[in-house]
Amino acid sequence: MHHAFKLGEAEHDIELSRSTGGYRLHVGGRSIAVDLVALPGGNLMLSTDGRCEPVVIAQRGDSVFVHLDGAAYQLDYEHPLDRLAQQTQGAAADSVRAPMPGSVIAVAVKPGDTVKRGDTLLVMESMKMETTIAAPRDGVVAAVHFGAGQTFDRDALLLELQIETPA
Amino acid sequence: MKRMQTQLNTRSAEFQANAEHNKRIAAEFRERQRAARFDRPERDVERLRKQNKLLVRERLERLLDPGTPFLELSTLAANMEYGGEVPGAGVVTGIGIVAGREVMINAGDASVKGGAWYPLSVKKTIRALDIAIENRLPVVHLCDSAGGFLPLQAELFADRYYAGRIFRNQSILSKMGVQQVAVVCGHCTAGGAYVPGLSDYNVIVRGTGAIFLAGPPLVKAATGEEVTVEELGGCDMHTSKSGTADYPASSEDEAFAIARDIVGQFKRPQKAQVEWQEPEAPLYPAEDLYGIIPKDIKQQFDIREVIARLVDGSRFHEYQPNYGKTLICGYAHLWGYKIGILANNGVLFNDSALKGAHFIELCNQNRTPLLFLQNITGFMVGREYEQRGITKDGAKMIMAVSCSEVPKFTVIVNGSFGAGNYGMSGRAFDPRFLFMWPQSQISVMGAEQAANTLADVKIRQLARHGKQLTPEEVAAIREPVLTDVKRQSSALYSTSEVWDDGILDPVDTRNALGIAISAALNTPIEEPRYGVFRM
Repeated sequence: MHHAFKLGEAEHDIELSRSTGGYRLHVGGRSIAVDLVALPGGNLMLSTDGRCEPVVIAQRGDSVFVHLDGAAYQLDYEHPLDRLAQQTQGAAADSVRAPMPGSVIAVAVKPGDTVKRGDTLLVMESMKMETTIAAPRDGVVAAVHFGAGQTFDRDALLLELQIETPA
Repeated sequence: MKRMQTQLNTRSAEFQANAEHNKRIAAEFRERQRAARFDRPERDVERLRKQNKLLVRERLERLLDPGTPFLELSTLAANMEYGGEVPGAGVVTGIGIVAGREVMINAGDASVKGGAWYPLSVKKTIRALDIAIENRLPVVHLCDSAGGFLPLQAELFADRYYAGRIFRNQSILSKMGVQQVAVVCGHCTAGGAYVPGLSDYNVIVRGTGAIFLAGPPLVKAATGEEVTVEELGGCDMHTSKSGTADYPASSEDEAFAIARDIVGQFKRPQKAQVEWQEPEAPLYPAEDLYGIIPKDIKQQFDIREVIARLVDGSRFHEYQPNYGKTLICGYAHLWGYKIGILANNGVLFNDSALKGAHFIELCNQNRTPLLFLQNITGFMVGREYEQRGITKDGAKMIMAVSCSEVPKFTVIVNGSFGAGNYGMSGRAFDPRFLFMWPQSQISVMGAEQAANTLADVKIRQLARHGKQLTPEEVAAIREPVLTDVKRQSSALYSTSEVWDDGILDPVDTRNALGIAISAALNTPIEEPRYGVFRM
């Protein structure tokens, strides 16, 4: 299994494989024998390369909190699909297109506005239903192509975003 | 499977307003449910106490395994019929656990009109037995009924899905090797006598239980014979002489103990093999559902936000995320069971219908049960879409839905209008279970569209004769249609008519589906086979 964790701001690629009596952790070209054993009373014992240390682990969602040797660490698990998607997203999400033919009820943004992913860009109506078009990612509105009351076909280019340039 | 990322702002004014609105609707629904279960006229309760009988809810407490869930079905059946005087249609049905076995419960409620069968009581009972047949669930019948409600006999006696169907279904269950126990707690008269008669096992309570084709008054009228209830169809006569009943019980408590012991002898089912993994609670709280559903049914919302609050770990593998985007398809786990989900994110286009048909075939190929989340106004209309063959693409989806062999489950989360209801496994397409959320609506078209369509037809008719309608006359045509369609498209009306298996508070949906999926896997999943797809 391939895994990626964030420790602070640094990303770590690690792989885990089974071995007789535990696991092997592959990190940075090295391979380390590891194991985690539950002790009576609920404590855990972590062994790395034959060295044993007590460890306390708590989990919330995809975050793991580890107490080890007097220090506390927060590890954030990143699913490979999320991590790889972040790298490829961009160009396709810059053009906001109409999911169906319809008309514009209201435009919530103007060129130059900074938007966060999920913010309302525009409200449209089609087949008697109102649909809210939300920002597919963080960015700045580059252009708005339709105003309230105007009709459009499916896949019409409604709005364009550009990546926010640091001030 | 990666976690879904919510786009929801739970602090927004819109979310808060939706949440307040939908929580109020859910609270009203829960109050109605409570009243249908427990509010009874004092004199009916007193009459049962005098007869030394338990109320139906007390009977269920004694029958079901303590601490186990009971998925009650169609609790609000008949809530808009018979002047609201027949709560639950006088029958309690649902899936419960008895002696460690999943069973269907079919219990008459003698505190409602003496347990008389109304047309909707019959419909609800037949639905429960249909569920038992489709999902191979053993049945426990608790019998206590005055017989058919005579003033409405024409609506419950003779047709294909009227009372005779109950006994036909019981016989089919027996043929399939699905076992049934009846506990005769009160009178089983006329047709009702066949319920214990057609059960593999039955228990009868001494003093209160009786089985006969005609009670003493009718016998006197027919033949002049004078006979007591006990001689005619009591516990000792039937268990020692006629052999119509199997086990005598000295009290209801003993009768339920015997029934539990009988169910404990049933062979445990071999469940159909599907993908399963250790369940995981959704990452996002179910309470968010109240804020996701807009106050106004005309407003679209992202159905993925609903999926994220139903499935294990809020993890979802979306299939074809960039194609036919108004139909969301993908895999998830629910209470550990792998499922395929089809959920509406807008009107169905050619590509969304094709994607849906394809995904249903995939799930049949890999034996993955299907969950349909309906929020659908219908298929796209207009020249361009007809020319692209929207009708034949819709037909493909309907073909795939109809011929699907894996169990289907449908939840109407908001709107269910027009042919969209068909493509998304509406009642007619035999989903194993179909539930509605309390604010949802179901009809062939929206109330306003129906009213306008009828007004238009009338205006054009009169125009041909050179006449014109005044605005008042148009309103006079529209208003009654608007009122009728509005009333008849509510979730309460649907559940009153037993078009669904009950209304669910959105936060209960995950648990209800877990029980439903588990029950459905009693039936082996066959090889998929389809008719002709119009290409």
